[in-house]
Amino acid sequence: MSTVTHQTAAREESHTPVRGLGWYGMVFFIASEAVFFANLIAAYLYLHVHAGPHWPTLDLDKVLAAVNTVILVSSSFVLTFAARALNRGNRRAFSGLLLLTILMGATFISIQLYEYVNNGFGPDKNIFASSFYTLTGFHGAHVTVGILFLTVCWFRSLRGDFSKDNHFALTAAEMYWHFVDVVWIFLVLLLYFVVR
Amino acid sequence: MAVGSIATRGRTARQTWKQSKFGSWVTTTDHKKLGILYVSTGFIFFLAGGIEASLIRWQLSTPNAGHLSPEAYDQIFTMHGLTMIFLFVMPTMAGFGNYLVPLMIGARDMAFPRLNALGYWLLFFGGIFMYASFIFGSAPNAGWFSYAPLTEASPGCFTQGVAAMSAQAQAQFATQNLQLSCFSPGQNPDFWIIGLNLLGISSLVGALNFIVTILRLRAPGMTINRMPLFVWMTMITSFLLVFALPSLTVASFLLLFDRHLGTHFYQAGAGGDPLLWQHLFWSFGHPEVYILILPAFGMISEILPVFSGKPIFGYTFVAWSGVAIGFLSFTVWAHHMFAVGLPTVAQAFFASTTTLIAIPTAVKIFNWVATLYGGKLRFHTPMLFATGFIAMFLIGGLNGAALAVVPFDYQVTDTYFVVAHIHYVLFGGSVMAIFGGIFYWFPKMFGRQLNETLGKIQFWLFLIGLNLTFFPMHILGILGMPRRQYTYPPNLGWDGLNLAASIGVLILIAGVLIFLWNLVRTFMKSGVGMADDPWDAFTLEWATASPPPPENFKTIPTVRSRRPLWDMKHPDKADWLTEGH
Repeated sequence: MSTVTHQTAAREESHTPVRGLGWYGMVFFIASEAVFFANLIAAYLYLHVHAGPHWPTLDLDKVLAAVNTVILVSSSFVLTFAARALNRGNRRAFSGLLLLTILMGATFISIQLYEYVNNGFGPDKNIFASSFYTLTGFHGAHVTVGILFLTVCWFRSLRGDFSKDNHFALTAAEMYWHFVDVVWIFLVLLLYFVVR
Repeated sequence: MAVGSIATRGRTARQTWKQSKFGSWVTTTDHKKLGILYVSTGFIFFLAGGIEASLIRWQLSTPNAGHLSPEAYDQIFTMHGLTMIFLFVMPTMAGFGNYLVPLMIGARDMAFPRLNALGYWLLFFGGIFMYASFIFGSAPNAGWFSYAPLTEASPGCFTQGVAAMSAQAQAQFATQNLQLSCFSPGQNPDFWIIGLNLLGISSLVGALNFIVTILRLRAPGMTINRMPLFVWMTMITSFLLVFALPSLTVASFLLLFDRHLGTHFYQAGAGGDPLLWQHLFWSFGHPEVYILILPAFGMISEILPVFSGKPIFGYTFVAWSGVAIGFLSFTVWAHHMFAVGLPTVAQAFFASTTTLIAIPTAVKIFNWVATLYGGKLRFHTPMLFATGFIAMFLIGGLNGAALAVVPFDYQVTDTYFVVAHIHYVLFGGSVMAIFGGIFYWFPKMFGRQLNETLGKIQFWLFLIGLNLTFFPMHILGILGMPRRQYTYPPNLGWDGLNLAASIGVLILIAGVLIFLWNLVRTFMKSGVGMADDPWDAFTLEWATASPPPPENFKTIPTVRSRRPLWDMKHPDKADWLTEGH
């Protein structure tokens, strides 16, 4: 009922929107998420600046982090290729590349969990450890949500739900996945390489 | 075969349930029904928060009173603040927005109807969750801003500090058996954290819905510059929510981790910083106060022109001063923190921005007064509340500007002066606007009018009651009476003023009881046959039946000016004939 009326309203608009309502909803949702991570990062930098020379550091596996970064960032490209395959009408390549993206995301999470178990400190160790687990943990939670999002899309792709002109769920998942990747680039630089 | 019939039966049962009187409200995705649900839920919490306020004033009516224990008092004043802000004003404003925005811009529904229902039910269960804390005897009790480290829990929060002490000092600590377990070991702050995050998600999805609806679903000809000002203010409020709520989420999750996962974000002894809490909380908290008042500005900007019989004075200024307030509201947060010892430069900066934000607010007040000037004024109940709003909000604005003066703020920080200020802007402002809005849009929602005489009596009781309650608090604050204390000793010159404030609450209670009687009376009356446009209004929500049909408009109207309904009623004097665009 409501969907019907609402479609009618959209049709009656003088200029048909180029992008669907959902696209706008996603943009502002991601904007809010970005402010969320900006606040986390600001809190981290605030504590860092106030601690000055007393800021504690811990040994982190930079090589593993670099490998993990490459995996996650590449997965964004793979997802873009998947979407292009769909636009060309190549459904097999689309499903395959989508599955590859999901596996790359799962690898990223596994490596992060491996690191949590083996880095030899917990969140109560010191303020850097607290920040490390909170920032990477929130990011990891977001990646996990992204994996679920993409997995739903993958099952739907097997059912043939998506076509060249009708694939908003995939577009939304793509927007979310790229966002989560960009956040990781900030976090990995802050926590492993530049401002530790 | 059998399976099929069960499925059919299930479908029919579901259909019957959805069409039943109760089920149709529970399963609704219609913006009008959800709007009414929001407003009525908000009103029930208004009564709950009012009962808490009455208990506070009962306890404080005389010195050394023992009606409430300190523990109970802490929970009650905290829940009073949380209820009025998160469970009354915000849901009520969201309710009016839900009901009115699609009607005002000529749409059939909100952009995401099911998300809309999710937002309402998160509010509903979030509110129940918050109040369930009373059953466990652990309602939030550290004030609505729940300052860390008071809200910290784990005994670990001082261990690092103790470890750094000399052996002698440690021995002394041990012999004196000092309680090192930190300040809030109970579940009280956990209810605060989880409850507010539920309500936060509710507000966030509501805000996303408003933004997309307003940007994408306007009727033909309804340009941004022709939108009703209530729609403008709802849009600005929604942007504030999208960008301010994440600070609260971050602040509260860091606290949750400190309490349960052993992190140290707010623990000074372990490399954290309690001031981080204040920065994060207030960078949400100050935009929040504009989230509470901007929709009220919008309501006033709808009511005043209709009852003045002329268009709003300086539409563009009213709209864009709202945008200015929205931006500036992100730059003033540390004026809540002058007493914590910020650097002088920071104090000067935040004092300046706070003074600056008074300018767009004053612009609005001048515009409203200019709207009244030379108008054919009709003093119906909504108009009384709207004019009362201007006067009361002006007082709240002026004593707020006084708080921006750093030396004065030092003097009255954490005293009743601050309580007086927030109640003039929230009761004198938001609550007056909400009741004006209820009297104005009630006929739209229910097809019947509230009684005018009872409404006017209620208005005067509110006006007198709120001044008697909150004006003495200015003096109490200057005399040094601290907030959040469960009692006070006699003979400090506070007794009479406190008693006056408590008597004021009795007058407010009388006003609320009259309103309840008015509601009952109005709903008991059968078949009223009210006109669709009882106030001779200007905007599109009155261009359809009262209450509107499910699809809102038979045909979507085409808009040619800021007062589309005026144009329809007066084609010879239509605004677009003279506006030249």
